[in-house]
Amino acid sequence: MLNTLLTDYTFQTVALGAALLGLVSGVLGSFAVLRRQSLLGDGVSHAALPGVVAAFLMTGSKNTETLLAGALATGLLGTLLITAITRRSRVKFDSALAIVMSVFFGGGLVLLTLSQRIPNANQAGLNRFIYGQASALLQRDVVLMVICGVVLLSVILLFWKEFKLLCFDPQYATTLGRSTGFWSLLLSFLTVLAIIIGLQTVGVVLMSAMLITPAVAARLWCRQLWSMVTLSAVFGAVSGVIGTAASSLISQLPTGPTIVICVSAIALVSLFIAPGRGILARALNRSRGRARLVMERRDGHGPID
Amino acid sequence: MKYFTKKIPTLIAILATLALALLAPLSGCANASDAVSQDKLTVTATTTMLGDLVKNISGDAVSVRTLMGPGLDPHTYQASAGDVTLMQEADIVVYNGLHLEGKMGDVFSALSESGRDIICIADGLDETRLLSSEEAGGTVDPHIWFDVSIWTDAAAYLADRLSQIDPDHADQYNENLQTYTAELEDLDAYIRQRTEELTPAQRVLITAHDAFRYFGAAYGYEVQGLQGISTSAEAGTADVSHLAAFIAEHSIGAIFLETSVPTKSIEALQAATEACGFSVDIGGTLYSDSLGDAASGCDTYISTFKANIDTIVDGLKGGGTDD
Amino acid sequence: MTDFAVRVQDLTVAYDAQPVLWDIDLEIPRSSLVAIVGPNGAGKSTLLKAMLGLLKPVTGGVTFPSGLSKHDIGYVPQSENVDWDFPTTALDVVLMGRYGHLGLVRRPKKADRVLALSCLGKVGMAAHRDRQIAELSGGQQQRVFLARALCQEANIYFMDEPFKGVDTVTEKTIVALLQELKAAGKTVIVVHHDLQTVPDYFDWVALINMQLIDAGPVSEVFHAENLSRTYRGAMPPLKGAV
Repeated sequence: MLNTLLTDYTFQTVALGAALLGLVSGVLGSFAVLRRQSLLGDGVSHAALPGVVAAFLMTGSKNTETLLAGALATGLLGTLLITAITRRSRVKFDSALAIVMSVFFGGGLVLLTLSQRIPNANQAGLNRFIYGQASALLQRDVVLMVICGVVLLSVILLFWKEFKLLCFDPQYATTLGRSTGFWSLLLSFLTVLAIIIGLQTVGVVLMSAMLITPAVAARLWCRQLWSMVTLSAVFGAVSGVIGTAASSLISQLPTGPTIVICVSAIALVSLFIAPGRGILARALNRSRGRARLVMERRDGHGPID
Repeated sequence: MKYFTKKIPTLIAILATLALALLAPLSGCANASDAVSQDKLTVTATTTMLGDLVKNISGDAVSVRTLMGPGLDPHTYQASAGDVTLMQEADIVVYNGLHLEGKMGDVFSALSESGRDIICIADGLDETRLLSSEEAGGTVDPHIWFDVSIWTDAAAYLADRLSQIDPDHADQYNENLQTYTAELEDLDAYIRQRTEELTPAQRVLITAHDAFRYFGAAYGYEVQGLQGISTSAEAGTADVSHLAAFIAEHSIGAIFLETSVPTKSIEALQAATEACGFSVDIGGTLYSDSLGDAASGCDTYISTFKANIDTIVDGLKGGGTDD
Repeated sequence: MTDFAVRVQDLTVAYDAQPVLWDIDLEIPRSSLVAIVGPNGAGKSTLLKAMLGLLKPVTGGVTFPSGLSKHDIGYVPQSENVDWDFPTTALDVVLMGRYGHLGLVRRPKKADRVLALSCLGKVGMAAHRDRQIAELSGGQQQRVFLARALCQEANIYFMDEPFKGVDTVTEKTIVALLQELKAAGKTVIVVHHDLQTVPDYFDWVALINMQLIDAGPVSEVFHAENLSRTYRGAMPPLKGAV
């Protein structure tokens, strides 16, 4: 049965797309989580919705590339707005995110309702972007994802030092002459691109889970940035493939949500069993430490011997 | 002054939110089809099929408005505030029932509680003729208009109820019913005649969602849809693979798009079938959950159904090719 | 005149509309160990940050001698301002000091790693090079930051309260390092909280309380009258002041 699965065309196409999504969101999500901007993915993916609908309303095209270009435009606009609000006013990041997200997503839903009145709007599958339609991925879509993914990963690899410095100590970066504004915006733009790649597979609502969860899971296992990012990418890609496999073996199981459940399961397990940082490890350390203290006290030692 | 310039982004965000909030009610602008005249009863129908049925039965005795335009999907249609107002202002509301208008159930209950005249077409049908869905939950398939004889029963029920509500025009309704029933019988004959052109093996209809089961049962076609009965469910990759294998195995001539459902899923299905070594054509676009529009000349039930059967038979006759 | 390490002119810094520094004029000579002292909230850290370009002044500016690039300026911040949960080791942090020299695309090479390790050694942290920074104590974190700045091989060093919260041994180590830097011709500018040790550790001092009270060599400027003007009655008791 596994053999028929692996040679199945639909599985191959969707699994490749899902693996790419997992890989890319694992990488970009690591940086987002480390910068304490975990929900940026949520905000941006919600901001992409009005772009999709507006692209259809303006061009009448059902072409995926056109709709995704619209999503990219409003996603970028949302990011710029969040950055501008955070920089120029007393409004904090999470509040700015909430404002932009609700305005854009609400606007998207309004446009969606308006588009209902246009004949043949449904053929464009606009509301599919909310929850994803992974099983409808065509080879053309996957090729686009591969191209974008390669570009993304190349930029990250090329400027690894700069992004690492930006996330760890932006003040120090400024003293070295790096423009934190520029690098921060670049990282946000790359995150938007990653979201656009994944939008068709898991949809607007679940995309933020793909950005956050593999990164959080990887953090529990890793002590260095490069290993965290790599493991996060692996977790994401593996979830993509397993989710697609499950959806291919069981009828009526939607692919997008299954992928998210998979990566969440990985995170949950990691939360418990990761050595050192996992819940079990910490409980064990604590009880061992306490037992040792009790023994030392009983043996007549002082507190700091 | 500097204080205000710092606050500008926040102000813009707040203003934008308010603007969008004010826009929302505007989106409920009506899809008016007839002018409202004071002395006639007004009827608001949900789907284009029902709107057409009401027009044929009532003639000019009432003025009809249809909520959903052509190409709209009744399964996922959400009534806006403007739509609800339209229904509240009407004297009579006509809807399909059986959860076809999946997201409007609350609206209908609220309307019937307010004492308005509501006609649920499903109520007037013989329960034994209704198909239950294959999925768990025992829901009934709501796409009743695809069996012309069931639709004829619906017409009779509608005429009956209209006569009860509006006895002054009862004779007119009955007369129209007789005429229309004859037309529907002609349509039924046409469908059967065209079906004869296909061999029994060719009578397999593959569409995006399970809308055509009544059609299949009435006219002898095997019917398979990618999604379930409602378009709000997402097709899984297993469904795409299995259906692709089925199509290749049975050398099915064509698969069909629908006007109210995204085309991408069918394109993916076609690609998957290609990978199975069988090249299947996209036979055309069918009107599934709605009638066509005036521009295409298919804005009545009869013309739409004729266009559908022509597309189906011509598409399946063409036949696909093995690679 | 390239005798100065950094020159500040007419510097005024404000948060929103509240002034924190007012019309500071200061010229710090090269190869000196400089202390910036003043009461809490006087703007000492703000002055440091303005000199580093981390804050935009309302008026005035900061000039460095021509030919000095950004990575010739080393910064040792207070340790609270960093995300300590970041997945990285002590050596890794020190290595970041080389990023200025490496430019945008190049990666740290073996020579950079050797230098980073020796800088860790100078602050007595060589044994901890592979430890996660989250596992380090406050004093250890401070030393890692110092090592990072040393790794930059900068000309001017700005340090924000480097002696705060460190034990005596570490304090001695840091003082020895500062002396080494001065002997090598570098300038070190330190925001310092402990008035007692100013004459022992530094040769130049700037007294700040929103405005510049006075600045100059310790022997000339660090006396009771200036201090009472700076601290305006909030001064801790002092021995050894002239």
